[in-house]
Amino acid sequence: MSNKRKRIDLLYQGLTYFASSIAVIALSMIFIYVFRNGSDLLDFGLLVNDYHAEYYNADIEGNITYSTTPAPDGLEDNMYYSDKWGIAFEDTENREGKNVIRVVYIAEDSPMRDLNDKNNETSDTFGIEEGNIVTAIKFDDKASALPIYGAEHMINELDASDDFREIVFTSLGGGIRGSIISTLYVIGMSLLFSLPIGVFTAIYLNEFAPKNRVTNTLRSMVEVLTGVPSIIFGLMGLAVFVPLTVRYTSATSGNLISGSLTLGVILLPVIIRATEESLKVVPDALRNASLALGANHTQTTFKVVLPNALPGIMTATLLAIGRIIGESAALIFAIGTAVKDDISIFGKSTTLAVHIWSLMTDEPANIELASTIAVVILLIVLILNISVKLISMRYRKRYE
Amino acid sequence: MKTVFKIENLDLFYGEFQALKNISLEIEKNQVTALIGPSGCGKSTFLRCLNRMNDLIESCKIMGDVAYHDENVYDRDYDVIGLRTKVGMVFQNPNPFPMSIYDNIAYGPRCQGIKDKKRLDEIVHTSLEKAALIDEVKDRLNDSAMGLSGGQQQRLCIARAIAMEPEVILMDEPTSALDPIATLKIEELMNDLKKDYTIVIVTHSMQQAARISDKTAFFLMGELIEVDSTDTIFTQPKNQKTEDYITGRFG
Ligand SMILES: Nc1ncnc2c1ncn2[C@@H]1O[C@H](COP(=O)(O)OP(=O)(O)O)[C@@H](O)[C@H]1O
Ligand SMILES: [Mg+2]
Repeated sequence: MSNKRKRIDLLYQGLTYFASSIAVIALSMIFIYVFRNGSDLLDFGLLVNDYHAEYYNADIEGNITYSTTPAPDGLEDNMYYSDKWGIAFEDTENREGKNVIRVVYIAEDSPMRDLNDKNNETSDTFGIEEGNIVTAIKFDDKASALPIYGAEHMINELDASDDFREIVFTSLGGGIRGSIISTLYVIGMSLLFSLPIGVFTAIYLNEFAPKNRVTNTLRSMVEVLTGVPSIIFGLMGLAVFVPLTVRYTSATSGNLISGSLTLGVILLPVIIRATEESLKVVPDALRNASLALGANHTQTTFKVVLPNALPGIMTATLLAIGRIIGESAALIFAIGTAVKDDISIFGKSTTLAVHIWSLMTDEPANIELASTIAVVILLIVLILNISVKLISMRYRKRYE
Repeated sequence: MKTVFKIENLDLFYGEFQALKNISLEIEKNQVTALIGPSGCGKSTFLRCLNRMNDLIESCKIMGDVAYHDENVYDRDYDVIGLRTKVGMVFQNPNPFPMSIYDNIAYGPRCQGIKDKKRLDEIVHTSLEKAALIDEVKDRLNDSAMGLSGGQQQRLCIARAIAMEPEVILMDEPTSALDPIATLKIEELMNDLKKDYTIVIVTHSMQQAARISDKTAFFLMGELIEVDSTDTIFTQPKNQKTEDYITGRFG
């Protein structure tokens, strides 16, 4: 009998080990996959650059004073330097994975620093910059130097010439600054909408509402809403908020405001429930203490109960932000999928998660950049989680 | 002697259950009245009638008169807030707010609209002085009240009640959660306080009732069995049940 008991115990224990190892393996596989694909592209430039590359056509005017700066230290094997022009190119891949030639160094006295922008004649301080991608150098007397021949060929061609007709270059592009800013906007605006409404609704439900069937129905409706798939909210956003914003603002289609409102609605039940939970755990002893001191119900609620529920509300907020960052289905409808660099709250735009979606539906899919954005999202979520822990820890220290 | 509370024919129900049965009792000014009796006999319930804290219990129904200075506090438009500012309460478990010591004491006055910093400073200091806590906390008024010991927290709760300048202080077993030394301090404090305040204290300990009270009321199963001067109750009780209880034969 006891042997059988032992075997059953072992079986149950084994099951828990098995289940937890599967969970751990699944999680680590996601992390490893995302980091392996995404970590190459991850750098500061990615976070602050525009997504759409800017094209420049430039030529050089007047008497050219050539550079006298020798090759700088630290040039790698795939980098080539022209003494005369004071510029170094390298063969590399851009963020879309295409082979390109990139400017890695420009000497102080390089004539390339003072070019004439053909598209904007009035600009007088114009030049090529480090990090730009060179797509062509055209000469009067010979064939153009193009990226397919490589950086070495291009630098040799340039070095051999005293002048060129035109240089075509672009900014690096592929950056996600726009998507990051949109995400921040969406976070701010949807919280601005859902946090006050959610918190006050929870306060009403938990502190003021009569304890009757109507209140309970309201509460279960909130609960049901928590389980509704976000794509349904997305449809609602498309049907309600997009037309509304188009009508009353300068927006012409899905925009940041309609997206934020949609997300705000998704967050409402989440915030209401989390706030209610944290209000419930405020001990009645504190409510009684306050009432016995002649404070009225409202004073008790806002001066004693609410402050005590704040850490819970904070946690709810951070979780809500996590939800915003991760949401894509609803936003595809309500904001649109256009990756933008100039963000306007009435304009189309895209958050990081939707950006991933767009990259993966491109032909061909850009897995690398998508994974990099995934890494950025993971890092943000990680930082949020740590902040939640820190806040609740600090709070506990203060009041226990 | 002046009567502060005059309770007449008070019945109280929690739903179907009658927790207080036809209680009549007078509370005298500047006296300590002790309520004793075995647990569940309705002492706390009775105490909560005096500042209407029973209002918060939904199933609770009350009949009879609880007159505070000749006005029935259960009259329909009686000013409950006003009552609670005049009749303070200290609970069984110390329940300071998780705020600074200063804010705890200033809480009540602030709720009554007192904002003047000087005035609040003064209230905080005199209240802490009267609660015999000032020496222990005067250098850390801005620290959290949660950092105080249990006994200090309970004295803070007393100070918090005093800050309202009440006439009556209700105490529901204020020392039952405390160690003997902290208990002693609170008992000393109560002896000081009775000069200025009318105190009604529920206590589990007959020794405590004997030590600090002027008048003792013995409750049993929702009934008020006997009320008399503390000396009489403890030396020559008239009712057999009272005698059984104080001699420890039951309870
Ligand atoms: N909120 C309540 N709801 C229902 N019954 C209660 C409630 N509070 C107390 N009672 C009941 O009323 C009786 C008296 O309780 P209480 O006044 O707390 O007694 P004591 O303080 O003397 O120990 C007990 O039988 C208790 O179970
Ligand atoms: Mg009790």
